[in-house]
This record gives sequence, structure tokens and C-alpha cells, in this order.
Amino acid sequence: MLEHVTPKPLPDVDLPTLKQVGKPLRRVDALGKAVGATVYAADFAMPNMLHAKVFRSPFPSARIAKLDVETARALPGVACVMTGEDTHGAKLNTDLPGQTGRAARAGSDAPVLASDIVRYVGEPIALVAAESIAIAEQALRLIEVEFEELPAVFDPEDALRPDAPILFEPDNVVAKYAIRKGDLAAGMADADLVVENTFTMPFIEHAYLEPDAGVAWVDEQGVINIRVCTQVVEHFRSIARALNVPQNKIRIRGTMVGGGFGSKEDVTVEIFLAFLARETGRPVKLEYTREEAFAATSKRHPFVVTHRTGVKKDGRITASEIKMVADSGAYPYLTPYVLLYATGMAAGPYKVDNLHVDSVAAATNQTFTSAFRGFGGPQAALGYEQQMDEIAKTLGLDSLEVRRINYLKRGETTTTGQEVKSAAWSEECATRAVHALGDRAPSTETRRIGRGMASYFQSYGRIMWFHDTSQAWVGLEQDGTVVLRCGVPDIGAGQSNSICQIAAELLGVPLERVTIYSTDSAVTPLAGTSTATRQLYMSGNAVTLACNEIRSRLLKRASESLGVAEEALDLGESRVFAISDSSKAIDLPDLAKLCASEGIGLSHLAQFNAPFTDGLDPETGQGDIWPDFTFGAHAVELAVDTETGEIELLKSAACHDVGRAINPAAVRGQICGGSHQGLGYALMEDFELKDGYIQTPSFAEYLIPTVLDFPTTDAIILESGTGVGPFGAKGIGEPALTPAAPAVANAVADALGVRIHDLPLTPKRILDAVQRSGRKDDGTAE
Amino acid sequence: MLPMFDYLKPRSLDDALALIATTPKAFPIAGGTNLLVDVRSGKVQPEALVEVGFLDELCGIRKEGGEIVIGAGTTIAELLSDPMIESQLPVLHAASTTFANTLIRNRATIGGNLANNAPCADTAPALLVLDASVELASVRGKRSIKLEEFLTSPFETVRAVDELILAVRVSVPPRAAIGRFRKMGLRKISCMAKVDVAVLLDFNSEGICVDARIAMGAASPVARRAVDAEATLVGNPLHPERIRRAADQTAQAAVPRPGSEYKQQVVRSMVTKLLDDIAREGGDRRG
Repeated sequence: MLEHVTPKPLPDVDLPTLKQVGKPLRRVDALGKAVGATVYAADFAMPNMLHAKVFRSPFPSARIAKLDVETARALPGVACVMTGEDTHGAKLNTDLPGQTGRAARAGSDAPVLASDIVRYVGEPIALVAAESIAIAEQALRLIEVEFEELPAVFDPEDALRPDAPILFEPDNVVAKYAIRKGDLAAGMADADLVVENTFTMPFIEHAYLEPDAGVAWVDEQGVINIRVCTQVVEHFRSIARALNVPQNKIRIRGTMVGGGFGSKEDVTVEIFLAFLARETGRPVKLEYTREEAFAATSKRHPFVVTHRTGVKKDGRITASEIKMVADSGAYPYLTPYVLLYATGMAAGPYKVDNLHVDSVAAATNQTFTSAFRGFGGPQAALGYEQQMDEIAKTLGLDSLEVRRINYLKRGETTTTGQEVKSAAWSEECATRAVHALGDRAPSTETRRIGRGMASYFQSYGRIMWFHDTSQAWVGLEQDGTVVLRCGVPDIGAGQSNSICQIAAELLGVPLERVTIYSTDSAVTPLAGTSTATRQLYMSGNAVTLACNEIRSRLLKRASESLGVAEEALDLGESRVFAISDSSKAIDLPDLAKLCASEGIGLSHLAQFNAPFTDGLDPETGQGDIWPDFTFGAHAVELAVDTETGEIELLKSAACHDVGRAINPAAVRGQICGGSHQGLGYALMEDFELKDGYIQTPSFAEYLIPTVLDFPTTDAIILESGTGVGPFGAKGIGEPALTPAAPAVANAVADALGVRIHDLPLTPKRILDAVQRSGRKDDGTAE
Repeated sequence: MLPMFDYLKPRSLDDALALIATTPKAFPIAGGTNLLVDVRSGKVQPEALVEVGFLDELCGIRKEGGEIVIGAGTTIAELLSDPMIESQLPVLHAASTTFANTLIRNRATIGGNLANNAPCADTAPALLVLDASVELASVRGKRSIKLEEFLTSPFETVRAVDELILAVRVSVPPRAAIGRFRKMGLRKISCMAKVDVAVLLDFNSEGICVDARIAMGAASPVARRAVDAEATLVGNPLHPERIRRAADQTAQAAVPRPGSEYKQQVVRSMVTKLLDDIAREGGDRRG
């Protein structure tokens, strides 16, 4: 299987040659990081600064019977101790992060500090600010608290049973969706065969390098400044609401983020810092330990996904019935949207005309789940891609062939009936990823070689009824250098570099001549969240709009000076020149000075609005959700030791149509990093909870892949130029992860001849499967 | 953060032993790779840590007749870079290569690895097949105890609270003996063993096994020898049937936790592979 595959020829694409975009330039953020000049959130201190600590629940479900902080308050060196009483029952507004959105979901937002009931181990109960960390920790030990343990539930399917303990009235249902497309019964009746499988996936920790941290202070205007690592500077609004202060009295100064992967999309330390800075009037620092970052922040949702698929003998899908159950943990956070993403992509990049999807997320007394790179997409892909291989196996067909005849094409519609308007290069990507594996290594009796691949499609850009916007300000200085102001948080994926490279392209200057100021909710124009693979699309387009305005002013003025029509001029190498005769030119500094003397403004604030839609049909779940989709595939070859259960990943190749690679080195970085994360999801990562208690509290127990564990993924970048981002770019940040785990699962099933339906694929599970496959080895030497 | 404690650096071994004996809640510390984690988490609440790794009596690797004495303060990195360990105790060298990661190997000590007695301590199976003894000292005197007896239960040893491990003593295996070590974990570096196996076999000129030692870690509450399997091999050539039986017996000697029974299968496979390798090598030598 998956051998001798020829890459499908690419359609003709005529991409313009560009000067800065499309080149693997050194990223604008690289040098500062390399030499240690970048001041991350935890690297910052202020005079007279206090240190904060958080008192957290040791129980998964309990009533706080008594909470007495007077002894802690009396400890010398303690500036303040705050409880839910002091925060006046303020709640996190976890719904709709960002600057837009119409209505907040009714519900069960998490309290900033629990004062009555605690619903998971690690839930915050009290805050301490003291002269030193040691004193703050001592004060935590002086907090007197009595709990009455309450009934608890730890499994989402249990949580949906009628007798389950209820986390929030009326029931544990956090979100629920139904898709009704075509005629399921007719499609099933038309099928030659029905294939049914259930797949499960565990909690996953983001495992970013940088534990959450920040410093807050109140300035001379009474503005609460919070310097914090976050993916969302627009949380200033929900923080203002929680503190009951005007929104212009909270300023988030976002730092370079040492990895977020979705976890820093939720409010973390910043709301505690805001309360403590206001309460004490002094600068306060809060830095989570690694164990605290594990216990106090979100996880990837565990899912149970069942596919029941009707197929013809040739592999064509006639109908599909999909059920999904997701674990929301103790509070909703972004669960309703993660579930919507999984639901809306449930059938994968395949044309399925007769389709039912029923999905539900349930609350349990466990660490809450929220955004994580892929946002439900990877869980959906683990369902549909393992199912595609099972269909092929049941029918005795080649798995790539079964995919090929079902792939969604441009102009056809997704799970929710949304038309795919950009290139859908599933087959182009799949054949290239498999081809890149080369020759298959030979199996031995106890070292079975397996190959697997997975296709996927994944949205980029936010849900369109969120009415997403981004702003960017661009200015040309008189020496021909460029200043960019944009509120984009840079979480390490090159968000700021991409928009600098676009500005350099459009204004005709080298990348080194662009300086960016970013991530400040008060002084940089708001660009929205660094989530949903949206920054290149949204802020890239905003920067493009701003640059094009300045560019047209420059060309107009240059046209007058040079006596050449605007259309016959171009910008490059810091000058405006005639395309036909580059000796007819004016240097940018000269042109900028000329404009300045004549009052021609060379700065511009632009706003890009994503398409606005109204949401899905409540009856059928049909409608448009996202601006566009990225398509691609991942293929792996691995060896399974059938005696020890060990897996050695031998080859990994990924091919994605990124529309246009703004910086190919950065794209490659995203693909290699994203695939490593996805491979770890399949093979070792497992955030274990037992009866609500964390079993993997640190990196000693929670294993993520090291550089030695997997080969570097061969990243194959295709450019259809059809995306809705600048220069036809699509998004790659989240998509890079999505197909890796199902490709591994399929390769293991290929190697063993039986499927393991649960992740991760540990030696224990491998050996159980070997036993099932009847290939149990008695240990005799050959 | 780390809580406050006294950090004591004694001038001599006698000072160190006196400090440990007389200071309440004093813990000896060398590499600290286990202890400091527990101190930080609050699991261990010391009033004092007594630095011992640097003491002369705990340092260095030396040969005494047919024995090699490894100071308890020897780091895993020092074991790895010592030519005598590599050439004469290759099974211990191999175990050291799989130990955690470079950073931890630079700090962690052989004495600390044994004193901590995690079920997955990587040096334990290797030292068990080398028939190691642990040398202990306290203000009450010195004693030497076989490693099997030293390791009692998970994270427990016979070391008294006022005792210090001075050194680990092993007999150098005969020149013809062949030692092997293999570790299985969930990733290639920086992880705790799921199963560790060490074997050391000696043969006479006819290819008859005259001494056999097999030990495993992480598959039982404490690292242990598989004496039945050893007996199966001694007095016989290393034929496939013997290998199979020894592997089965080793697997049966494993006592994994409930739910981890698969480890017996892993032990069986690892022992089979190691013995197969030795059989091949022995054949090569004779051939």
C-alpha cells in the first residue's frame, strides 16, 4: 500500500515574481531571540514590585465550607490577599475573545476566583501579593480553608447520563450541534456496505516553552497596564468588565510569546495581575511554575468520534453518520467553538452528499479544555482519516484510491454545505507526500514496516459571524524607512515578520528597513487575536490595504516628477523607477521629502473586514462558517517492534498548498513544528487525569517528542495562489499539525493488520493489538 | 520556589557524618537531581542539606585488585567518560548512555541513583549483574552490603538516615564475559525506563556458560535479578531453547504493577534479543 505513487501534475499557476515576498529572509524577530535581547514576559521587573501567587483547589469537586485568609493577610510582607469576595464574584468573559462578536453566550463562565464551589483540581480560590515569592508562598500555607467534597464526574459520556452530578444547571451539556445534509436513509440504502468505527483521543497539554507570566502596574493616568504573554490583547475589554472600570483604563502590552498553541488565547495571569495592581497600587508580577501552567491552563479536548459510513464497492461514499462527544472539562471556555469546528469539518475533505453529524460537549470535573492548534480539526481528522483507511481495508482497496474518488473539488460543498472557492489540491498534496517517502523498508517477522497517510482540510480565519476585523497603520519616514504599527501578537510563528515582509514588498524597501511596533492594546491599532490561523490573512490584508494607499500616493507624485505614467512605474530597492527604463528613477528618501514638503501624507491606517455572515441554519446546520480552507496531506513510514511494542518513525513527509508562501523558511518551520506536535499526539502525549487528579504534573511525566525521536519532516510547499490572504496566501499555522496523527495511526494499522482505536499508540496498546492480530510471538529466537 | 534551608559544606567526611547525625532533618546532597525536585514540591522538607559529592572519599574511580571502586559522588557523565568503565564494565557504560539526558548526567551521581531507588533507576540492573556492593558510613562505623539487599522497596533502601553511601564496589568480570544492557522508554532520551534489562554471561573455552547474571529494572517494584533464569543458563551452551526458557523465567520473575502486565512480554523479548546477540557473538569468537 502507498507505494509507487506518482505526483499528480499541478494545474498551471501564474504567480507574479516578487522582490521580498516568497523569499526565505531572516525574520525580523530572529536576531533579538538569538542574542537574548528579546524581553519575554517573565524577564521584566519594576521597582517596588510585589510578587503574586495563586491559591488553588486541591479537589475536583467540593464546596468551600470555610475560607479564612486573615492569618495570611497578617503575615509581615504580605501586601494583600484577595478572595472571590474581594473580586465581587467577577467572572472571566471567556466567550468570544477579541474585539468583535455580537452576543455573548449565556452561561457558565468561570469565576475569576471560586468562592462557593470548586469544579476542578487547580481552580483558583485566592490571590496573594507579597514582597517576595517566599513570603507569598508562606502566605498560601496560612490560608485556612475547609472543603466538603461533592459528587463528581470524570467522563463526558457519564456526564450526559441522567443520574450524573451536574456541574451547571440544568445539565452538563456545554454545546450541541446537528448537521442534516441530503438524505441519510436513502444514502445508506444505496450503499453496498456500511463501515462503523469509534475512535478516542486523550487530553493533550500545549507544552509551550514559556510558562504564563506578566507584570501589571497602575500608571499616572490611572490606567492599569499589564505586560503579559498573550495571544489576545483584546482581553482588555473583558478584564475591564471584570474590574468594573472603563475599557480605556486597561492597557495590555503584549510581549513576544514563547509559544501559545491556543493556550494563551484564554485569559491567564492578566486578570489576577489587574486585580492585584489595582488593590495594592504597586507593580505586581505573577509567573506560573511549569506545574502550575499544566494545572491551571486549558488542554486539548478528548473526543470520542464514531463514523458510520455507507460505501459502494468502488469506495465511493453514499452516506455518512458521524457522532462526536467532547470533554469540556469544568468550564466551557472555547468549547462551543472547538466543537463547532470539529463538527463543521467532520466529514473531512470529501464530498458527502448524505450526511448527519451529531456532536455534543459535556462538562466534567477535570482541567478545562479550550483552544489548541487545530481547534477541533485534528480530532475530526483522526475520525475521518482513520475511517477512510478502514473503508479501504474493508473493501480491499488502496486507501489513496478510496480517497481520490471522494475528494472534495473546488466548487463542491463541505459538511455544512459551504462551497470551496479556492483550490482544493488534496490529491496533488497526497501523492507528493506519499511519493516523498521513497522506497519502502523491508519488514521482518518482529519488525513490521507500516505506511500511512492522511489528508485534511482546515479553515483559516475566524468564524464569519464573529465579524472579524484587523487594523494596521503604515508610515514611510523621510529617510525611506518604514514604520508598521499593528496590534498583532507574535506567538513565535512569524506573525510580525510576515506583515513586515508584505510591507517591504509593497513599498519597495529591503526587509531591514521595516520596523514594527505591535501587540499594544492602547497604541497599536487593534489587529485581533493570534488564533484561528488568521493573522496572515487578516492583518496581512490590513497591511496590504495601508501599504497600497501609500504606494499609490508615492507613484502619483513620482509620476509627476519623472513624467512617466503611474502604471509604468514600480517600487523596488528603495526607489521608484520606470519599468521600461530603470535609469528613470527617484530614490524613496527624496520622494518622501518631496511629499512631506508638499503636505502629501505618507502614513495610513487601514482596516480589513472579513466577510460577514449570519450563521448556520438552526435546523440543518447548513451554511458558511469560514472564509476559506487549506488542503494538504501527511505521510509516514514507521517500524513497529511486535515484541516490545516500540515504534520507530522512519520517514515523515507533509505537503500543503499554502496558497503563497510569504516566507518559505517560516512556512517550513510551521510544517516541521506542527507535524512534530501531531506526531507526538499520536505516539506519546497523554495528559492523564485519574478521578480528576493530574497524573502527569510536569515534563518528567508528560512526555513530548525530543529532536531525537522523529526524523525531520520533509516539507513540500505548494502554491496555488488561490487563498484569500495577501498574494493569494492561505493559512498554515494550525493545518500543519492536523494530518500528522492520523497518518501515524494509519501506518501502525498498516504494520499490524489491526487498528488501535485509542491514542496515544503506546507499547502497551501495541502489544495488546499484536495479541489481537493473532501474531503473538512466543519470544523464540529465529 | 525552593524553601529556605541551611546549606552545609563539611570540611571532611567525619564532619559530614557528624552533621548528618546531629542536625535534625538534614539530608545529604550530591547531584540533587531527585532531591531538589522533591524539596521544591514540598514532598521533602529539609532543615539542612549537607553537600557530600565533593568529599575525597566519595570521588573518583579506582581499581583495587580485581575490583573497581566507584565513588558515590561520581556523576553519570564521569562514568561515561571513564576509559576503565568503558573497557571493563561495558554493561554499566551502556546503562549510563541511556541515563536521562546530558544535563542530568552532568549532575546526577551513581550513589544518588541507588539511594533514591526509583524502580526505574538505570544503573541498578547494570550494577546488579556486576554483583555490586554498597559501602556505607556513619558516625557508628562503616559497613558493606550487597546491592540486592540494599534495595528494599520503591524509594526505600537499608540506608539509615545518618548513613552516607561512600562507594559502589564491583568485581571486574572475567575477560571473556559479555555484558549487555537495553532500555525501553516512551522516547529516545530524557525519559524514565518502562523496562531495563542487563545481562552478563561468562563462558568457558567450550562455549559452556559458567556464570550468568540477568537483572531487570522498572518491571518490578525494585530492580532485581532473575535467579531461575540464570540457573537455566549456567552449565549449558547458549542454545535457542535455553535462551527461550531463560527469557520466560525472567519474564515470570518480573512483578509489574496491575495494568502493566505487558512489561513481562517486553522483558521476555529484550532478554531474548540480548542473549541472541551474545550467542551470535560467542559463535563469532569461537569461529
